Amino acid sequence: MSFHRNKCLTAFHIVGCMVMASFIASPIVASDEAVQIRLFEDQSEANWLAPEGVPTFSYTEPAFGFTRIPVSFTSNALPLDRSWPFSLEATMTTVLEAGEYQFRLRSRALAVFAVDGKSLLQTKALAPNTASHEALPEAPADLGPVRALHAPHHDAVITLHLDAGEHTFLLVAVIGGKGLSPTPGELSVSMARAGEIDRLIGGKDAPLLTDAGWEGFAMAQDLRHERDDIARRRASDDAVEKAWAERHAKIRTWMESRPGPTVPDVADSDSIFNKVDRFINARLADASIEPLPLTSDTEFLRRLSLDTTGLVPSEKQIESFLSEPAELRRATAIERFLSDDSWADSWIPYWQDVLAENPGILKPDLNNTGPFRWYLHQALSDGYSYDRIAVELVEMEGSLAKGAPAGFSMASLNDAPMAAKADILSQAFLANKLSCARCHDAPFHPFKQKDLFSMAAMLEGKPIVLPESSTVPVREGGRQPFVKITLKAGESIDPHWPFEDVMRDIIVAAPPRNTSVDSRYALASTMVSPANTRFQRVIVNRVWARFMGAGIVDSLGDWSKATPTHPELLDYLAREFVINGYDLKHISRLILSSHTYQRKPDPADPKSPGEAGELFAGPRRRYMSAEQVVDSLHLVAGKSLDSEELNLNPRGDRALRQFLNMGTPKRAWEATALSNERDRPSLALPRAQAIVDLLSAYGWQQSRQGPSSARDDGPSPMQTLALANGATGTRGVRLSDDSFFTHLTLQDRSLDEMIDTVFLRALTRQPTDAERTMMVGYLEPYFADRVVPLADRDIGLAKGKKTDSRVSWANHFDPESTRIRMEEERNVRMGDMPTDSLTTEFREHFEDVVWAIVNSPEFTTIP
Amino acid sequence: MKLTRRDVLKTAAAGMAVPAAFAAPAAKLAAQGKADACIYIWLGGGAGHIDTFDPKRRSKGPDDPGSYYDSIATAARDIRLCEHLPGVAARMDRCALLRTVSHDINSQHGAASNLMHTGRKPSGTIIYPSVGSIVSNELGSKSDDVPAYVVMGYPNIMRDPGFLGAKNGYVYLTQIETGPTGLNPAPDVTDDRQKRREILLGRLRADYLARNDNDAIVRAKAEVSEQGFRMAGPQFMNVFDLESESSSLREAYKSEFGQRCLLARRLVGAGVRFVEVSFNLNFLNGTGWDVHQDGIVKQHLLIQDLDHAIATLIDDLERNNLFDRTMIVVATEFGRPAEFDAQGGRGHQSGAFSTLFAGGGIRGGQAVGETDEIGETIVDRQTTVPDYFATLFGAMGIDPAKNLYASSRPVPITDHGQPVEELFG
Repeated sequence: MSFHRNKCLTAFHIVGCMVMASFIASPIVASDEAVQIRLFEDQSEANWLAPEGVPTFSYTEPAFGFTRIPVSFTSNALPLDRSWPFSLEATMTTVLEAGEYQFRLRSRALAVFAVDGKSLLQTKALAPNTASHEALPEAPADLGPVRALHAPHHDAVITLHLDAGEHTFLLVAVIGGKGLSPTPGELSVSMARAGEIDRLIGGKDAPLLTDAGWEGFAMAQDLRHERDDIARRRASDDAVEKAWAERHAKIRTWMESRPGPTVPDVADSDSIFNKVDRFINARLADASIEPLPLTSDTEFLRRLSLDTTGLVPSEKQIESFLSEPAELRRATAIERFLSDDSWADSWIPYWQDVLAENPGILKPDLNNTGPFRWYLHQALSDGYSYDRIAVELVEMEGSLAKGAPAGFSMASLNDAPMAAKADILSQAFLANKLSCARCHDAPFHPFKQKDLFSMAAMLEGKPIVLPESSTVPVREGGRQPFVKITLKAGESIDPHWPFEDVMRDIIVAAPPRNTSVDSRYALASTMVSPANTRFQRVIVNRVWARFMGAGIVDSLGDWSKATPTHPELLDYLAREFVINGYDLKHISRLILSSHTYQRKPDPADPKSPGEAGELFAGPRRRYMSAEQVVDSLHLVAGKSLDSEELNLNPRGDRALRQFLNMGTPKRAWEATALSNERDRPSLALPRAQAIVDLLSAYGWQQSRQGPSSARDDGPSPMQTLALANGATGTRGVRLSDDSFFTHLTLQDRSLDEMIDTVFLRALTRQPTDAERTMMVGYLEPYFADRVVPLADRDIGLAKGKKTDSRVSWANHFDPESTRIRMEEERNVRMGDMPTDSLTTEFREHFEDVVWAIVNSPEFTTIP
Repeated sequence: MKLTRRDVLKTAAAGMAVPAAFAAPAAKLAAQGKADACIYIWLGGGAGHIDTFDPKRRSKGPDDPGSYYDSIATAARDIRLCEHLPGVAARMDRCALLRTVSHDINSQHGAASNLMHTGRKPSGTIIYPSVGSIVSNELGSKSDDVPAYVVMGYPNIMRDPGFLGAKNGYVYLTQIETGPTGLNPAPDVTDDRQKRREILLGRLRADYLARNDNDAIVRAKAEVSEQGFRMAGPQFMNVFDLESESSSLREAYKSEFGQRCLLARRLVGAGVRFVEVSFNLNFLNGTGWDVHQDGIVKQHLLIQDLDHAIATLIDDLERNNLFDRTMIVVATEFGRPAEFDAQGGRGHQSGAFSTLFAGGGIRGGQAVGETDEIGETIVDRQTTVPDYFATLFGAMGIDPAKNLYASSRPVPITDHGQPVEELFG
């Protein structure tokens, strides 16, 4: 036996190798630790398999397996599209024992594999596909333990004798193609000696080419790249960050030289935590209304957690909160939650609505945008200042399909996309509602149609011709329309800042620039100029409304007839926002730390609040949002979201813009409209549909054709039923092997403790005595014998494959594709496979308890 | 300015609104219809009108534009239908055809389907409600414990309530076998178990309400919780139990699509106002109604299935005394041209296609509008999409010119649509 340097680095490995050696000894005697990768772009077709010049990327991978390629970023940290296609080169040198070796090149596209400079294997190019009437591919051939081939991948296999000594492996693969998804699929090269299972060529941890081996490897690669991409993204824009910081320093000096609003002089009291409360309490005192008392600590924690992470607090968070000294608890929790990774997740749904993010995964044709959700996630998790976010959205740069702000520029089948964008931006950032001006002068707003189209022309970078559809037809002899029309179809409108009446065209401390379109930059600079106090006031009002349930100006995207309840407070918050570099977290901290936020909710109907409500004696009572319901349910159950990849062309052989790949959602905001307007069962994504069903019932809009600042998410009977009976609710409650509650109930703990844990996780509180007694009484008869002896468990029970990856747009007319998806729908309806570790009686009764608690109105109402 | 008839049609198709000088007089017959429920049969994919409701001379081969089938006489004088529609033909005296529905979205299924459900193209400023949601908004359901609007098909934006809000949304099912999504408990939850669950929940809910008894939001949430479980109670859920119908009737309805029509009749009987039944059983011919290429070879299987289900539905509604107040509408996103593609199938044609109306007080035995000898251009009387919807709403007693409000913005139910008056009176 030779010395296996790379297999035996630790005592553990040595033991492992000794045992394994006689069975499947690795043939690799010595190798580089890693595979060297280089990416080459802009190659001529002749050089695709022999790329030349300077690589645009050099990095390493642990083995010859590729599911993900590093993202490239602009100097502004926006993801970029690569040239179509590009070449990946992978090399590694290894010392092998002499012997017969089988090599397997697996690829869905053109690739070549060489050993010691000699080409041995080649796979054929990926042909762009436009068909939809193909037959469903045969079920993949059984390769024994080796992972089956997923169409349109193919294997090229060769067996040859290699001498003992050093050998060099080289793979060159073509990734993507014109307009196609720039992803490698399941590209790999593996090797095996007679009687062995294929193992990816690579370093000491190279996995076997089995399902488990590949999936583990792919998941690790995905996580590693995710982390590296983020690190590279954050490092890529240091210069830009610095320029923004310089702008903010200038603005701070400028702002501090100007007088700010006077903070009301109210006597200190228990109901004043910070200046916010002084503004609020002064008005309450004038109206002789008492502020509402503080919530309990755990109610506060639940509210804070939902507002900053979109999730109910975990047991661990509750525990550490309660372990703090009472007087420090709230302040400490605010800091901890503001720096939680889920901060971005908690805000994305809001901006998706406000900015009308509306991607379609199937031939977008209904005013669809690109998936700029990914930009929102990037901006919020990298802590961009809000003026930067606004400017970058106006600049519309980066990759459309990868979700940069370029995706915001898109509006499919809209004959005046920039007019739509001008309206969205204007409502989102300036609270000037221009929607009506799309077709005529706005009757109830101070805007003319020309205003909207001059702003649209600024986005367009050139004059815009008014399309016929954006007019109101006037009929000869017909009734004169109530609305005024001052433009004619076909008229050309020049780029021009339209809001001189409301906001002057003054720029203070111009922002860093990242666009070649002058008028876009001019628009952005004017919009975020601190001299225009509108932008900062609109944004802080939005933050206030999210946390307090209503704005200081109630109508968030339309201030034409707005009267702020607390104009000085609005000015104070706006000034704080600007002086502190347009930092959303700073404003959030001010609000969350106020006594006002931490009070008991106002009991009046938020739609008709009394004077106490309007003056914020306490925050408005709110329901959980759709995303909060879905994400919290999963957190409580200890399960991850169950969804297919949101992509109707998993084969990657079609125009990416026609078949966006939106990935597999981990948080509810990543869900998307499933775009089955064609009503074809074979185009369904049943697991994703179950999530979308629950989201929709709670007010999530599958299509965001226009901007919205407030959802229609009032309670409805269907909401109740969607959670109680729907597949996602059923999954949350089911005690399957991956449920937290299965692990909980298998422990040697008392029934009381178990009940307490369920209440704590789901409702952030202990049960009342009556509740505990009721639940214990319900479970007691089945409790003692709940655990099924190991010998009686159905170990190795086939869990069944959830999604047949063969079905895609290409073959969706095949009756078999329809049959498969319809069967998957029925399976999803059944929910997760129940655990066999617990008796059916106990498991079902425990599920009933969890069901009752998460379906209680308390679960979905924010304290 | 002098316009030819051709110009008018062109303008109308492009802008979808007929210039006033040529439009019919004000909707005097609108809002006078008697239908109080609608079964909207949706032939997604684009059902070819010349192969169904507007047959022309039969094609002699791939190079000869024309119908794919022979035509047959019907119970209405001068109206012929495709030979695979004998059941509808025998009941043509109770059916009316609009043979010149027309719009200009010819290539995109999604956008055209959206148009034929909302009556409008997306504007990017508001989301227009679907026809079902408008009916739900205007008429509500006939009973508190029954939803107003049910879809048999996939949930998507064209069926959504848009600016009318979630209260005008729908209950949906994609397969009879799985039942309505969200309404019935998971398959492993027996009635007994559900009762036990609701007892536990009832106590938690009562305690929570007691702790927050002055809170309007908590009260509202607790109320819908109770109302939801009432809605999912046996009264409504029994509607989905087709087993309770005689086996002879179930057999008469035959196919999966027929069973959906049977369910639609039961839903309407229970008080649902608008039931959309999607005919999306694409496996019958491999492509559904979108018969490009060789999908056309077995298109007759779809047509026969459709024929059988409509005929049985008409008879069944009549037997249950529901026909006079239940309107059946058969619609699609566009028709198909008389020419054939390289593999003998057909492309899309939005400039002229057919829809069928029956029941609910509609005057049957007529075909309104006429296409040319191969069904490609309109010879007489265009029905715009707004006119088509105005007809549907008018038949249900809903004023097609009434304004709905997207917050403060008035949005008429149809874009100046005029009901096709021949269908009334």
